[in-house]
Amino acid sequence: MADTVLESRPDLNLDVVRDEIGDVRTEEMLVNMGPQHPSTHGVLRIVLRTDGEMVLEAVPHIGYLHRCAEKIGENVAPYQYIPYTDRMDYLAGMNNNLAFSLAIEALTGLEVPKRAQVIRVIFAEMNRIASHLVSMGAYGLDMGAFTPFLYAFRERERILDLFEASCGARLTYSYITIGGVTDDVPERFIDVCREYLDYFEPKIAEYNNLLSFNHIFVKRTANVGIISAEKAINWGLSGPSLRGSGVKWDLRKVHPDCGYDEYDFDIPVGQGLKGQLGDCWDRYFVRIQEMQQSVRIVRQALDKLAGTPGEYKHKSGKSVKLPKDEIYYEIEGARGQLGFFIQGDGSQIPYRVKARGPSYCNLSITNEVVKDCLLADVPAIIGSIDVVMGEVDR
Amino acid sequence: MSLDWKQTDIVFVDQPALGAAERLYLPQIWGGMKTTLRHMFKKALRDRTVVQYPEQERPLRVEIYRGVHRLNRDEDGRVACVACFMCETACPAHCIHIEGAESPWADREKYPIKFDIDELRCIYCGMCEEACPVDAIELTPEFKLVGKSREEMIFDKEKLLMVYEQTKNLKPRKDPAITGYPETGHRDRVP
Amino acid sequence: MLKHEYNPHSTSNDDVVTTRLDKLVNFFSNTGPAWARKNSLWPLPFATACCGIELMATGASRYDIGRFGAEAMRFSPRQSDLLICAGRVAIKMMPVLQRIYQQMTEPKWVISMGACASTGGVFDTYAVVQGVDQFLPVDVYVPGCPPRPETLIEGVMAIQRMLDSGELKNSAERGRGLRMVVEPLVQVAVPNSAAELR
Repeated sequence: MADTVLESRPDLNLDVVRDEIGDVRTEEMLVNMGPQHPSTHGVLRIVLRTDGEMVLEAVPHIGYLHRCAEKIGENVAPYQYIPYTDRMDYLAGMNNNLAFSLAIEALTGLEVPKRAQVIRVIFAEMNRIASHLVSMGAYGLDMGAFTPFLYAFRERERILDLFEASCGARLTYSYITIGGVTDDVPERFIDVCREYLDYFEPKIAEYNNLLSFNHIFVKRTANVGIISAEKAINWGLSGPSLRGSGVKWDLRKVHPDCGYDEYDFDIPVGQGLKGQLGDCWDRYFVRIQEMQQSVRIVRQALDKLAGTPGEYKHKSGKSVKLPKDEIYYEIEGARGQLGFFIQGDGSQIPYRVKARGPSYCNLSITNEVVKDCLLADVPAIIGSIDVVMGEVDR
Repeated sequence: MSLDWKQTDIVFVDQPALGAAERLYLPQIWGGMKTTLRHMFKKALRDRTVVQYPEQERPLRVEIYRGVHRLNRDEDGRVACVACFMCETACPAHCIHIEGAESPWADREKYPIKFDIDELRCIYCGMCEEACPVDAIELTPEFKLVGKSREEMIFDKEKLLMVYEQTKNLKPRKDPAITGYPETGHRDRVP
Repeated sequence: MLKHEYNPHSTSNDDVVTTRLDKLVNFFSNTGPAWARKNSLWPLPFATACCGIELMATGASRYDIGRFGAEAMRFSPRQSDLLICAGRVAIKMMPVLQRIYQQMTEPKWVISMGACASTGGVFDTYAVVQGVDQFLPVDVYVPGCPPRPETLIEGVMAIQRMLDSGELKNSAERGRGLRMVVEPLVQVAVPNSAAELR
């Protein structure tokens, strides 16, 4: 063992690396992290095999939130399934509603009114902002910074106010439905939303001051949990976790639905500003930059909404009959590619519903990244991947 | 330690060199504290952010907010529900239980003798309201509801009508006139 | 060797100093309003799903549960006295929840937040516990899916009112143990002396 020398660094052998960071080989120990742990974002349980402070292996155990959400989909009509999609990725309910609605519409060939499409883009992007705000605040909490959490929720509450005025709920909206949206936006929505965007955009700089470029935060996240672009693609990562590794891939650009191709926006990718490309800080910072881009999209969409009168909902959205066909439809959710596979059998109730939750696929890389990290870096890595357990277990 | 990884997978990361100020960490703490303190000493910012809940309340959009249910009365003071079971069918949580009976009135066939909603099981999705052909069941902007037992949280017909009495000023009934029953196939209202 | 039966219903009333302090607090709470206890309810956020986000929002800037003295969210059951069960609880999660409840020190109260925790809500399936009150003594049910932060605050205030009126005794006094225990009773071998231990 002692004579194994790496080709890239012939001056080091592996045992010396371990000794250099002051780690003494000890007896291996299993550490159980979760399912009730403040920094596992829900009910994730990770069994860590540790050697002193080093993590040799991390096995995520899931299923603590299993509730047969897919099986339920085979027993209810599509419009009744919309509330269940809310509860998958509960931080971005609008995006989940959108993915399922788009899948059903693509399967049945339902035409969505123009106005509904614009409203959908606005709400999906606003929810992306809200979701990234929670992600940022919770990541700050994991890293021991409480203040950004309060600021993130302050801004998020105002987004929720807008949602609440439009659909009557704060978190589980069921707003975007098959064939459009359930209700038109309230009066003065455009003005209030624009006012909010004007208020929100300078706050991003405040977050950067407070957290992103704070040296203490950078020290805990930069150069930690590096995922190379190749590895990210091989493990099927998507969303900010993939883009943090420098891969320019976004379904809103690749196959634009809801008229995303009519909006002008960029895809932020990780650049390795504070450390190696693809580290936790890059993944975190991609989310901050995405909020900026979402603000851009919403601004354009609001302009568009003012000039798009008409219906907000297709009349027969509730009573669609699913043909004997199947479809897999993916959109870019807040956490990555959120897809629904739906198989119809000629009746109103689908034969099979399957969801591809981005968190589930993103979580699979845990062992690969956490391996050979320090125990204290595990919350940093899991927080940067930003899993939502409701979507992992389904 | 196993060596089955690829050599290219291993990334050697050098710690960035820190200046004296960075090593002190105090300027960074001060940088964060500046923002915090600015918010702390601006009373206007504080007041705008926090809602002192039991004393203050944020206005809701009452027309659309999805809170506790109510069962509407029609203009004659009778229960507006015609026991068509549309809401019970539409409910994803199956929290509505209706028992219908022959109606004593001429203008409708049935009326509910029993109308229970399990407020604890309900997910407040608003599908019952959407499904109701006569706008009898509605969601109110009332959300201040907690219970000490599961039994008291099952709202029966009387309780739901009581919610209507309490909230009818806040949110008047959407469409008081019963205008036929096109979706349920009931006969038209007798003039 | 003495066989000690592990009993989840037991409360250690005599062997810990803090329980003596607790009696002191009890003395004052019996003579007057339980202001000390009711204004320092430390919640344990057992947040599994959507309700957990609203629980976070309740603790965050706008709703600020700290105004009720309950901002000290403790993830250690030993330090908390109000279990807020937020979100659906799967069968697989139930032993964890029950173990957490057992580890909490008396007096302890439980808020069942949201439809899923209270009744199983919309998920009436084999995997979801149809109401945590089948396994835990729940004091206050908060409806909603998820409840608004205001509604949760109402729930905390309901607990405070119950404490104030002396209506709510701690779970040992009111004789409401766990109705059902998920895990089997474990026979733990307790050595009689240190010599036996060696």
